[in-house]
Amino acid sequence: MNEPAIAVTNLVKRFGDVTAVDGISFDVAPGTIFGLLGRNGAGKTTTLETCIGLTAPTSGSVRVLGLDPTRRGDFAQLKRRIGVQLQATSLPEKAKAAEILDLYAAYYGVRPRTAELAERVGLEDKLDRFVGKMSGGEQQRLALAIALLHDPDVVFLDEPTAGMDAFGRRILWAEVERLKAAGKTLVLTTHYIEEAERLCDEICIVQAGRIVARDTAPALVAAHGGDAFIDFAARGFALDPSLDVLGRWTQKGERWQVFVHGEPGRALGAIVAHANALDVAIDDLDLHRPGLEDAFIAITGEALDDEAASAKAAA
Amino acid sequence: MTVLRILLAQTRANFVWYFLRDGEMIFWSLAIPVFFLFVFSFALGGGSTKQTSTFLIPGLIGAQVLSSGFWGVGAMLATFREKKLLRRIYLTPIPSWTFFASLVLYRMSLLALQALILAIVGGIVFHVHVVGDPVSIGVILLLGAATFVSLGTVIGAVVRSTESANNIASVLTVPLAFLSDAYIPIDRFPAAIGSVLRLLPSTQFIDAFRGIAMYGDSLARYGAWIALLCVWTVVGTVVSARFFRWV
Ligand SMILES: Nc1ncnc2c1ncn2[C@@H]1O[C@H](COP(=O)(O)OP(=O)(O)OP(=O)(O)O)[C@@H](O)[C@H]1O
Ligand SMILES: [Mg+2]
Repeated sequence: MNEPAIAVTNLVKRFGDVTAVDGISFDVAPGTIFGLLGRNGAGKTTTLETCIGLTAPTSGSVRVLGLDPTRRGDFAQLKRRIGVQLQATSLPEKAKAAEILDLYAAYYGVRPRTAELAERVGLEDKLDRFVGKMSGGEQQRLALAIALLHDPDVVFLDEPTAGMDAFGRRILWAEVERLKAAGKTLVLTTHYIEEAERLCDEICIVQAGRIVARDTAPALVAAHGGDAFIDFAARGFALDPSLDVLGRWTQKGERWQVFVHGEPGRALGAIVAHANALDVAIDDLDLHRPGLEDAFIAITGEALDDEAASAKAAA
Repeated sequence: MTVLRILLAQTRANFVWYFLRDGEMIFWSLAIPVFFLFVFSFALGGGSTKQTSTFLIPGLIGAQVLSSGFWGVGAMLATFREKKLLRRIYLTPIPSWTFFASLVLYRMSLLALQALILAIVGGIVFHVHVVGDPVSIGVILLLGAATFVSLGTVIGAVVRSTESANNIASVLTVPLAFLSDAYIPIDRFPAAIGSVLRLLPSTQFIDAFRGIAMYGDSLARYGAWIALLCVWTVVGTVVSARFFRWV
């Protein structure tokens, strides 16, 4: 087995009496996309910034490509091999996007590929715009272009799609998939379930500075997502306890919510057959399969954001 | 060689981003010193305007040297840090001194421009002539810039917030200029105060600069003060290097 691209061991980071990271360990195999998923303040940024040498650990160790970012010589080598999009950073307001890309190419000693990069991040017609006049999403995409400009082996993206519209998000997702195809290792933090589910080979759920679960998205869902349920309205419907493909159910007037063991298709068939036998009509039927969101709530005991929390409460 | 290219590219970028594209900056750094020259020469001058402006021009340039160090480099570094701009640069492989040096070079080129404008306006309007040896003038100006850049960098290194860095820079620049023989001749102060004011590095620099540029004095005449300025430079550099933080 290859040496891991990133190895974090018992990482602890305190800021005064705030413990931002409280004993985190993980490693990331080369060529995989690793996601840190957690609510605001969970410790994602602190963990990531420790990996890239911006923050010194209080204790524990970090190795990226076998290099220790807290050591001067290692850090100097590491900087050339990692690409970083920070959550908190800025670029000079009166600089034009093209000037920034040219200058950063000079920093890294690579041939400027300004036009090509701009096209990749969808900024080809914004190259002459001042950074200060670019929208938040455009600035994020410029930051992404900077992160990729020297063809790094490991890419760190801290909430890369925060505040981005669907267009920006699609661009970023395409870029991530392209990097994966090129065999790069990626670490990204997010609190978008959909993004984590779609992009990450492996997901770490971080809560209050600790890793509370770590697996592939399907495995997390299978282990913690709970059962699928079927939601429908049917007047005069009654359930027969002998239908063993169905789990527990709840009934509110004519609305039914029926949990399902195993394959939801069979349960669906059973419900429909049963309704036919009783000669009742089914309305407004929904099949809800458990997703990463459900697993997240089951694992952490809280929803990822308020929107999801209220959606869940309504369900 | 590539480092040199990066240094020049970054210096040029600084000049364009922070000066050419910033109307307020152009106004404050070019128009204001010339405005001061006129106001002070006509309003304050007891004797001939030629005499007064001969005294004032090196004073105004000297005050710009102070402000370059305290504002242009010191407070600017604190601003860059607070805006989280420094951390982005820190993650690139350029040697850390290049970014700092580019900021200094940018301010030095601006300073050269300011000095040139003051000298030209002074020459045309007030018939002031710069009589000093150009090499000696260059040496004393560079030394002054080094002194106040290194002292200014201490602000950027020690102070965390932009606001307090700006406050410290203005508290240092404006009163110091008035107390350091830049605009008001030091012998107008009571003798006891004057001799204290002569201990300030800013007074020593401005006096030496004025003597060398306008009255044709030699560098050697200011040997002791030059040595002291070197000491300040070393102290400022050591303290800055010890406390400077990128993030
Ligand atoms: N420099 C700092 N000084 C003090 N506390 C800090 C500092 N940086 C982070 N913290 C605290 O550490 C905790 C973790 O912060 P961190 O930025 O790592 O969270 P995060 O998971 O990235 O959150 P978000 O989703 O909001 O970006 C928070 O409680 C935060 O307030
Ligand atoms: Mg964060």
